[in-house]
Amino acid sequence: MTFGYDATPVLRAVNLVVPAGVFVTLLGPSGCGKTTLLKLIGGYLAADSGTVHLRGRDMTTAPPERRNVGFVFQNYALFPHLTARGNVSFPLEARGVAKSETRDRTDAMLDRVRLSPAERDRFPRELSGGQQQRVALARALVFEPAVLLLDEPLANLDRALREELRGELRRVQRETGVTTILVTHDQDEAFAVSDLLGVMLNGRIEQFGPPREVYDRPNSEAVARTLGDANVLPGELFGMKGKVMIRPESLRPGGPLSGRITGVRFHGSDVLADMTGDGFCLSWRTRTRPRPVVGDAVSLGVDPADVWEFPTS
Amino acid sequence: MIRLASAPAVALAVGVALAPLVFLLRVSLYESGGGRGFYAPGTVTFDHYAALVHAPVAFTVGFALVVAVLATLFGFGLALFLDSLTSRRQLLALGMLLAPKLAGALTAAFGLQRLLPHGTLAALLAEVTFVLPYAVLAIFLRLRGIPADLIPAARGLGATPWHAFRRITLPLAAPGVVLAFQLSLAWGLGAFVGPLFLAGPAQATLGTQIHAHVAELRWPVAAAEGVLLLALTAAAFAVTRTRGRE
Repeated sequence: MTFGYDATPVLRAVNLVVPAGVFVTLLGPSGCGKTTLLKLIGGYLAADSGTVHLRGRDMTTAPPERRNVGFVFQNYALFPHLTARGNVSFPLEARGVAKSETRDRTDAMLDRVRLSPAERDRFPRELSGGQQQRVALARALVFEPAVLLLDEPLANLDRALREELRGELRRVQRETGVTTILVTHDQDEAFAVSDLLGVMLNGRIEQFGPPREVYDRPNSEAVARTLGDANVLPGELFGMKGKVMIRPESLRPGGPLSGRITGVRFHGSDVLADMTGDGFCLSWRTRTRPRPVVGDAVSLGVDPADVWEFPTS
Repeated sequence: MIRLASAPAVALAVGVALAPLVFLLRVSLYESGGGRGFYAPGTVTFDHYAALVHAPVAFTVGFALVVAVLATLFGFGLALFLDSLTSRRQLLALGMLLAPKLAGALTAAFGLQRLLPHGTLAALLAEVTFVLPYAVLAIFLRLRGIPADLIPAARGLGATPWHAFRRITLPLAAPGVVLAFQLSLAWGLGAFVGPLFLAGPAQATLGTQIHAHVAELRWPVAAAEGVLLLALTAAAFAVTRTRGRE
């Protein structure tokens, strides 16, 4: 698919195939087009070219209400005049599901996202951010959509809650088996929940695959850096031709790469040290004690299996 | 207890609302002057209130209700249209909506005189055009407060545009709709320019009656009718009040 505003392309020839029942994450910086892609799938925007197929059916021109897609907005978009229960039963009422069935399915879904009975009759403004998130998720799943789309659903929560709900999101996805596409700029979130990971940069999906593979074997420097800290070095140091990548945590004390520590960032469980050698700079993530300090002379090595040579395009 | 900070507000309320109201009540209890002054000082009578049984109350209330219903309906439609515009066009449309207000009710009434044949319908339409901007604003401000992604969210959850309107837009805009109705009803009850300029004696409202009695220098009669009009307006607000609560 392609999409653009006036002359500004937002998506360039994006092709995404998501297998049924799989949790896919699209990771990228803000402005890379990931939310636009979700909106195209949800039917909120029309692509300039290309098609959207859901469960094998062409949905390119279908309005949002006929796509059977659950969408969780970044700010949840809960209906302020309806209780948690009213919000979750909304999609069923819109489909004309019978009252008793609506009640049962609503309660079952609220059980699934673990919203306590006392909270179910409260209005969104009376719920915490985490509870609102659970309601939004239940509302997007209660009608058993073909696809669940999540637009930065955890971005507005504090760190501890984010990690808790990340696990909840994955659990609910496994239990319901719903095909899910999550959009985020947080690589920890992407690694924690995804079966498959797509890295989006400048309106393109640069790489798509299992998280470990994309992390260990990125096909470009930009992809490598989107997923975390990366040392990009000339391959000659390791007897290779092009550029190579070494993750900072792959480096070990003792080896042929020698130099001096020129900076240290303390992260608690580990430190990220900058080392300058003869014609190269390295980031080294380490837990060694005593911790390295600026000015230390160090020699570092790396398992050859942890040296990744970028494919030449 | 009145705190010092609220003293100016209290003074304003007393000077602008309460004092004229007391004066109005007192004047309504004087005997008419009978050609010598606006009223006969020092007298007390309830005759003018007794005579109110002949006042055109039913017509006034009916007229106001029709004005309020029409203004609220048209107002809702226009407010929805305004809400769908880009902000630059909204400004332009608001300007067009309010422009006749700047010209004044009389100018508008003279204009409408040329366009419409005299009668109840013309008077109604004139009053509706007078109150429409208030109705539109009351509803539009409410619509603008609805978060932009609620309707897309409702659509994505399976709601047709109509279902989303009925279950999301309408309930969230309801306080504005009630306010629009109340404002138009209050204006409609006091209607006088429309009936006076675009209809005749057969379409007398409390407003045109008051106008006539003031012109005839029968102030106590006009004052009693004014008190009745106030009471009707207060009653109208009391009846619609609970529905307007958040």
